[in-house]
Amino acid sequence: MADHLRLAALIAAKDLAVEWRSKTALVSIVAFAVLVSAILYFARDPTAVSALDTAPGALWVTYSFSAMIALNRAFQLEQENHAMDGLLLSPIPRSAIFVGKTLANLALVGAVEAIALPLFLLFYDVPVWHRLPALSLVVVMATVAMVAVGTLFSSMVIRTRFAEFMLPLLLLPFLVPPVISGVELTATILADRPLSAAGGWLKLLAAFDLTFVSLSALLFESSLEQ
Amino acid sequence: MPDPLLSARSISRKFGYRVVLEDVSFDVRAGEALVVRGANGSGKTTLLRILAGLLRPTTGTVLRAGGLGYLAHHSMLYDALTARENLRFVARLHGLAPAGTSDSLIERLGLDGRADDPVSTYSRGMIQRLALARALLIDPQVLLLDEPLSHLDEPGSRVVLEILGEQRRRGRALVVVSHQRAELETLGAASIALANGRLVSGAAADPYG
Repeated sequence: MADHLRLAALIAAKDLAVEWRSKTALVSIVAFAVLVSAILYFARDPTAVSALDTAPGALWVTYSFSAMIALNRAFQLEQENHAMDGLLLSPIPRSAIFVGKTLANLALVGAVEAIALPLFLLFYDVPVWHRLPALSLVVVMATVAMVAVGTLFSSMVIRTRFAEFMLPLLLLPFLVPPVISGVELTATILADRPLSAAGGWLKLLAAFDLTFVSLSALLFESSLEQ
Repeated sequence: MPDPLLSARSISRKFGYRVVLEDVSFDVRAGEALVVRGANGSGKTTLLRILAGLLRPTTGTVLRAGGLGYLAHHSMLYDALTARENLRFVARLHGLAPAGTSDSLIERLGLDGRADDPVSTYSRGMIQRLALARALLIDPQVLLLDEPLSHLDEPGSRVVLEILGEQRRRGRALVVVSHQRAELETLGAASIALANGRLVSGAAADPYG
């Protein structure tokens, strides 16, 4: 188990080092998140709909679309020079590759979410600072589900001709459950109600986490077969 | 006669209805080198990928003893990382000490002056040398080499041929796909030829006339 985690951490560290050197993914995803936030903010008629009503949806549209761009990138760097073959030739469990890739994606998507959150607060001026731990919990739980299933699909589509188009097509239906749960729980937090008031959504989100992570880990190996 | 380190038994591979390899069999023993010849599209690279375990044969089996080093058509390197980081990453994946062998291979292949530069700044010849270092890193029993001399200048080719000769003398089994027959003659290797996915002999074995 310790060796498995060591290998996963090694792959995650390599991915993050590659991303950090180029910064292509991080800069473009953050720019995308800023643009989506701004468009959604200016598309709202403040005299017709309150900020509190639209803020949860806007936050999760921004987060899920940004995550999709990050996940598209996940296996592209293994595709360059066929580096994935090198990983597959090494004597490491395929599940360590999945865990490593998922950890790197979580770090990348998490960084984008952390950068986009202050912008969201600035646009919508919602009272959330004192509820930040609860909001962070919801964001982490929904992000784990999105990234786990996204990492699996990213590995599946990377060898197809139109990988950039295929990933959103496959992934979006699976993002609906964690995103809806995220929206409902965020609305509860912004309305300053306790999370227990939306306990059903929280349990549902936990169930999606468990299901998506375990199924994605199980199916990952077969997605690599040629 | 010692047992083969690499044995291909009736390997066939189809992509859809297209037959790329058909009933290919051979053995390579310790200290032997086998050159696989054939025109473009004859199935050489597919054969190497099957031997490496990266592709499943439609029928047939591959038996391999010991570790595998694979120099592919693509370098399998990360452009954003340096040569040293690439090799140390591979060493760690195999549970080896990250320095040591990596550093000596970098020096042997004449990359020590640029070892801490990103691979993206390398010439094609340097990438080829680094990819060979990657294949040799785990001291494999079996080496699969797809065009090992491509992109190399004369001194580079000489170093690579020296290294391959040493590997053979150390009892490693080599399978080399190459069009550069004259250079590889120094290896004293046996050769087989593929045409349309089948092993051929006689005049048909020489696609270049």
